[in-house]
Amino acid sequence: MKYVSFFLTLAVSVALAILVSRPIGQIPPLAPLLDPNHGFWQNSYSEDQIAKEELSLENLSAPVEVVYDENLIPHIFAQNEQDLYRAQGYVTAQHRLWQMEFQTLAAAGRISEIVGSRALELDRMTRRKGLAYGADLGLKFLEENDPETLALVEAYADGVNQYIDQLSDARLPVEYKILNYRPEHWSAYKSLLLLKYMSDMLVGDRDLEYTNLRKILGEAGLNKLFPEFPKENDPVIEAERVWDFTPLAVTKPDSLSYPDHMLAMNPLNQPIDGTGSNNWAVAGKKTKNGNPILANDPHLSLNLPSLWYSMQLSTPEHSVKGATLPGALGVISGFNQHIAWGVTNATKDARDWYKITFQDESRKAYRYGNEWKPSQFRIEEIKIKGEEAFLDTVVYTHYGPVVYDQSFRSDRADVNFALKWTVHEGSNEQKTFILMNKAKNHSDYNLALDNYSAPAQNFVFASKSGDIAMRIQGKFPLKWREQGKFFMDGADPRMEWQGYIPFDQNPSTLNPERGFVSSANQHPVDPSYPYYVFDNSYEHYRNRRINRRLREMEQITVDDMKALQFDDFNLQASEALPVLIKLLGSAQAGSPEAEKYLGELSSWDFFADPNQKAQTLYSIWFAETAESIWRELRSTDLPIVTPNSYQTIDLMASSPSDSVFDMKSTEALEGADYHVKVGLDSLISIMNKWVAEEGDYSWANYKRTTIQHLVPDFKPFSVGNVYTGGGSGIVNATGSRHGASWRMVVELGNEIQAFGVYPGGQSGNPGSRFYDNFISTWANGEYLNFNLRTPDQQEGVLFKTTFN
Amino acid sequence: MRFILLTILSVLLVVFLGPIASFWVVMIGIGLLSALIFPNSFGAFMGGALGMGLGWVGLSIYIGLTTASPLPDRMGELMGLGSGMTLVAATGVLGFLLGGFSALSGVLFRKMIRPVPQNVYKG
Repeated sequence: MKYVSFFLTLAVSVALAILVSRPIGQIPPLAPLLDPNHGFWQNSYSEDQIAKEELSLENLSAPVEVVYDENLIPHIFAQNEQDLYRAQGYVTAQHRLWQMEFQTLAAAGRISEIVGSRALELDRMTRRKGLAYGADLGLKFLEENDPETLALVEAYADGVNQYIDQLSDARLPVEYKILNYRPEHWSAYKSLLLLKYMSDMLVGDRDLEYTNLRKILGEAGLNKLFPEFPKENDPVIEAERVWDFTPLAVTKPDSLSYPDHMLAMNPLNQPIDGTGSNNWAVAGKKTKNGNPILANDPHLSLNLPSLWYSMQLSTPEHSVKGATLPGALGVISGFNQHIAWGVTNATKDARDWYKITFQDESRKAYRYGNEWKPSQFRIEEIKIKGEEAFLDTVVYTHYGPVVYDQSFRSDRADVNFALKWTVHEGSNEQKTFILMNKAKNHSDYNLALDNYSAPAQNFVFASKSGDIAMRIQGKFPLKWREQGKFFMDGADPRMEWQGYIPFDQNPSTLNPERGFVSSANQHPVDPSYPYYVFDNSYEHYRNRRINRRLREMEQITVDDMKALQFDDFNLQASEALPVLIKLLGSAQAGSPEAEKYLGELSSWDFFADPNQKAQTLYSIWFAETAESIWRELRSTDLPIVTPNSYQTIDLMASSPSDSVFDMKSTEALEGADYHVKVGLDSLISIMNKWVAEEGDYSWANYKRTTIQHLVPDFKPFSVGNVYTGGGSGIVNATGSRHGASWRMVVELGNEIQAFGVYPGGQSGNPGSRFYDNFISTWANGEYLNFNLRTPDQQEGVLFKTTFN
Repeated sequence: MRFILLTILSVLLVVFLGPIASFWVVMIGIGLLSALIFPNSFGAFMGGALGMGLGWVGLSIYIGLTTASPLPDRMGELMGLGSGMTLVAATGVLGFLLGGFSALSGVLFRKMIRPVPQNVYKG
C-alpha cells in the first residue's frame, strides 16, 4: 500500500511538473512563464531598477562608459570604433534583443519557426524575393572589398552575443517566454540582412499592374490617367537646377514587344500607402540665428517596440547622436559636432520583372537570345514550428530569382517571372552610415554616400560651416523611356538594363539660391533631368505644402520647424473640396444630415487637427467618390492600380465631363458630378452607421492611430486610440497605422541644439516604464532634448554603467 | 508544528533557492524538506502547497508593488484572464499544486523506506 501511494503521488507530481513545462497547442509552458523568479513577472522591472554599475565585456581595448539620461537614452563613450560598436551591440541587445532578432527572422523568411505554418506563405514570399540571397552577396562583398567595415560589424555582433550568452531566464524578453523560444547568436550577416529588409519595406513596383493596365486602357489611355509628371511638379531637386554633366547614352530598342498576357497573379506585398518621409534643411540666410536648421521625419509603420532606438555614440574623434536601427551599426538619422543629416525614401522603380521561357519542365535552362542559358536552383528549407520543414525550390536566372512560377501565386503553369532588383547585388550601405557618423563637411558626406546602393534615399545635409545640400543616392539602373514599367521579355537581351547612372550624375544640389532643400518622396527632378525617372507612388501634396511654407518663411526658428513637422494642413482637401462642392451644385441631397455635413465642410479651415470633424467627412467623401469613379476600371479580376488622388482631382476639376467618368454599364452619360453624388450618399450612410455605433466622429476618434506591437496578436502590448491629428498626404503624416516614426530638428550653431522624439520608448520590454513613455509627447507635437552630452555632465542622469 | 515549519521553510526555499534554480528544483527541495520534517500526509501536502503557493503569490505581489508595472494587467488581458490579479491567483494555484504534491511525495517516500519495526511484541 505504501509503495502504491508513494509512486502514485510521485507520478502525479512528475506528471504535473512535466505538464506545466510543456506547451499545449499555442499556450506556452505555464510554470516557466508564471514562476515569479524566472517567468514574465521578472519583466516587470524597468531598466533603472535592475541597472548595474559595472558589466564585463570581453575583447575591449579600454573601458567603455555608458551614461543613460532620464529617458533611458544611452550615451556611449569609447576610446575607439571597435569598442564603440561592440558596446553598441551589447547595449542595443539589452533593450531590444527580441525585436532585433524577430526582424531578421522576418527578413530571412523564418517566421514559421516561431509561429507555425500560418506564416509559411509569408516566408516563401520573403525567400522568393531573395533578401537572404542579397545579404549573402553583401557579406561576400565586405569579405572581399572592405575588411575594415566587416571587422566593425563583427565587433557589433560580438557585443550582441556576449549579452545573449549571459542572459538569464529572468531577463529574457517576455516575447520569447510567450512564444516559447530562445535567442540564437547574432552575426554580421544578420546586420546586413536587416538593411536588405529596409529595402523590402520601402521599395515597391507596379509592373504587374501596369502590364494589365496597358492591356485594358491602351497606351494613350494609360498616359492620360497615369502621366509620368504631374501638372504642378515640385521636385526634390529644385526645378531651376542646371544639369552640368554629359549623360551616358541609353539606346532604346527600335521595335519593342512586351509579354502579351493579361496577368491574374497575386502581386507581392507593396510598401503600405503612406509610407514616406519628410526632410529639409534651411540655410542660415533664412533663419533667425543665421544657423542652418535641418529637420527629418521618416514615416513608417507605427510599431512597438519602436523601429528606432536613440543613442549617442562617442569616441575621442567624434560624437554622434540620433536614431539607430537596432541591429545596424551607427546612427541612421542624426547629427554630430559638425553636420546633421536625414533620410527620406527616394522611390524610383528599382525592381523589374522578366518573363522567363524555360527549355522544358526541368527548368534547367531558359531562352536568352539565340541560346539556352543554364539556371541555378536554390533550395529553401523553411522550418515550421511543430511540423515538418517545407522545401521550396527557387530557380535563379542571371536576372534574379523566379518569384512567380507554377508553385507560387500564379494560376498559370506556363508563366514564370524573374525579379531583377538592386538588392541582389553586393553593396555596402553599412559603410555609408559609419562614415556619415564621422563626417565633418559636405565632401565627407559625399564620400560616405558613394558606398550607398539601396534602398535609394534622399539624403538631406546641413553643416555648421553653413552648407545645406540634398543628394538622391542609390544605384539607379540606366533605362530607356518606359523600360521596366511593364513586365519584359527575358528572352530578349535588348531588354537588359544598360548599366547604372554614375553616382556623380545622381540628382543633387548644394546651397541652392532659394535657401532651402527639401524632400517628401515626390518626383526627384524636373523633366530636364536627362535620365528616365518613373515610379507609381510619388507624393503630390506634402512636398508642395512644405516648399510653399519654406518659400514664404523668413527668420526661421527651431520652433517654426517643429511646427512645420506637426503641420496638419490638408492641401489635398483645400484643392479638392471646392471641386466636390461645385460639382454637387444645387443638387444637394436635401436630407438634414447632408445639410449638416456640408455645413461643417464649408466652414472648415482644412486643418486635420484631432478634434476636427470635417476632416473625417472629407476623407470619406473623397474616398467614396474616387471609389465610384474607378469602380468599373477595377471590376476586372486582374490586379491593377487606380489613378492617384492628385490625378483624379485634376480630371474632376479640369474635365468633369470626360469619358473616363461615364459608366459603361449604364445607358446614360455620366460626368464627375454623378460620382460626387454617389460619394455623398455613401458618406451619409457610413456616417449614420458610425454615429449610431460610435457617436463621436472627430478625426482622431475616427482614424484611431494605433502603435501596434510587432506581433499583431499581442494587442495588450499595443497602444491604441492615440489622440493626434494629421494623415496621409499631410506633412504630419500620421494615419491610423503609419506616420512620423521619428522626428528630429537640429540647429547647427556654435552650440548644436537638437530635438527628437519617436512614438514609443527606449525599452522593448512591455513591462518597463520606458516602453511607451514617448508616445504622449510625440502625439502632442512635443520633443525631447537631444543635445550632445559629455561624459562628466551630471544633470539628468538615470544611471551609469562601465564596461570593463 | 511540523506543518508550520514545513510551510515556512518552503517559502524560504522559493525565495532563496528560486532565483537561482528552476521551479522543478524547488519542487525537489520541498520534497526533501518534507521527508526530513516528516509531518503527517495532510500536513505535508498543505505545508508544501501553502509554502510554494504563498511564496509565489507573495513574490508576484511584491514585484507588482515595487515596479508598478502594467505588465501583469497586459499579460492577464493577453491570456484572456482579465486583470493582473487573476494572474496572481493563477500563479498561486500553480505553486500550490506543485508544492503540495512535492511535499506529499517526500513524506510518502520516507514512509515507504521507513524500516518496518522488527521484534515488536505482538502479544
